[in-house]
Amino acid sequence: MPKRSPAVQLDRAIEAMLIALQPEAEPPNPALAQLMATAHALRDLPRPDFKSALKSDLQRRTTMNEATASVPQSSRTVHFRRPGFNNIAPYILVNGAPKFMEFLVAAFEAAEGIRVPRPDGSIMHAEVRIGDSVIELAEANEQYPPHPMTTHLYVSDSDATYARALRAGASSIHAPTDDHPSGDRWGAVKDQFGNVWYIATPKGWVPGPEGLRAVQPYLHLRDAHNMIPFVEAAFGAEALGVHKSPDGHILHATLSIANSTFEIDEAHGEFQPTPGYLHVYVTDTDAVYAQAVRSGAASVTPPNDAPYGDRAAAVKDPFGNTWFLATYLGTGRA
Amino acid sequence: MVVQRPAQKAAPQGADERLLVQAAQSDPTKFDALYELHFERVYYFLARRVHNRATAEDLTSEVFHKALANLATYQWRGAPFAAWLFRIASNALADQYKRASREQSSSDDAQNPDEHPDLSPPDLDTIDYHARLFRLVDHLPAVQCQVIRERFVEQRSIREIAGRLNKTEGAIKQLQFRALQTLRAQMEGGDA
Repeated sequence: MPKRSPAVQLDRAIEAMLIALQPEAEPPNPALAQLMATAHALRDLPRPDFKSALKSDLQRRTTMNEATASVPQSSRTVHFRRPGFNNIAPYILVNGAPKFMEFLVAAFEAAEGIRVPRPDGSIMHAEVRIGDSVIELAEANEQYPPHPMTTHLYVSDSDATYARALRAGASSIHAPTDDHPSGDRWGAVKDQFGNVWYIATPKGWVPGPEGLRAVQPYLHLRDAHNMIPFVEAAFGAEALGVHKSPDGHILHATLSIANSTFEIDEAHGEFQPTPGYLHVYVTDTDAVYAQAVRSGAASVTPPNDAPYGDRAAAVKDPFGNTWFLATYLGTGRA
Repeated sequence: MVVQRPAQKAAPQGADERLLVQAAQSDPTKFDALYELHFERVYYFLARRVHNRATAEDLTSEVFHKALANLATYQWRGAPFAAWLFRIASNALADQYKRASREQSSSDDAQNPDEHPDLSPPDLDTIDYHARLFRLVDHLPAVQCQVIRERFVEQRSIREIAGRLNKTEGAIKQLQFRALQTLRAQMEGGDA
């Protein structure tokens, strides 16, 4: 048999590599072996079209952000959130806010922050901190009736947190398990106020710098797929991961607004819509309020300078959730 | 596969990279420079772990969008910017695995225990080796570059490539051979 040229020998080896066959035995040839090592490394060569398309996509995004920004750079980078706050905080209204605070402290080791009482002793507004996140709460009233919410907590020990929650008065929905589809150690409880808490300990990953916080609001929605274009248009949200069933229903999606995320899915079984309240810090309340209304939200409260130092507004989304929009006007660093 | 660390032009390190990050933090349109510097690294890190081009592209896109969105929160603590990107990539990988697990758990198929993601820390030398190699492909003579991309990215046969470039199959094999020789020599010589 005539000896094959090096180019042919190399190509036969490459062909076998690309279709995942064992290469046929060739006479040892160190030079070709070195070229094959390079060929192996090229299997993961990225598509140049992809690199340029992603670059354009990122450029569009930065250009859009620049174009839509209506406040000076210095005031929109870090000062629009109140110190200690992330971009999204669940705002939970309950009947019996003091008891609810006690529950959060006992169950989730929440650290009590500010508490603003009304003259009658009820809580007008309070904040607790869990991990790197804040949950706001208040006594429900006629304007803002109680709305139980679902919240996803990332904790260091879901079993211990779950046990504490039960001792604090919650009822079990699901004991912590390793078999949850998320892959996390995952359990769930419902508190005495009707709020559902998913208690997860990440396995094999770390809630990281890109926005997965200790506290994430979780919205079960009817026709959840419609929420994604709404929050993208209204709040500049970004869908980080969307998992759909074959019939197009959202099985799970993570959406981010700046440094925070929230989750949605299609309401199912016992997990039905419970429209709630979300507090969102934005760079420009007036602009976002106007954009949200243009995107289909209903105005609840037009932009105003709130007495606590925020430029504030409120809108209700088509799913019934109320979004409190705020831009911190103080000077403390976020 | 064991790869040796080639001599290389170092990517901006330390103070230089810090300046790039600071520039992008104050003006996000300057994120381009960080993207150009790290695209191949992030892509390779993900592609080696998911073994699927479409998924690697989705995750790479996710990583850079997250990085851009959260650049203002990045704080320089002396570690390379790439370490931050790899951490975002690791989380994206884990999240992708969780989504895939959900999909699988909703089907009747038994879960394949071998499909757990490789979340081991990135091997920076191997990543840099591949990133350099990928960039060198752009500097090959045009026809060699095209052959390499058709063969390894599009995974076309020699016959298909020959038809597309209107050349003989033998000529395509020679172009492939010479391209790999060039790449090998440049990697060993550190000429990037």
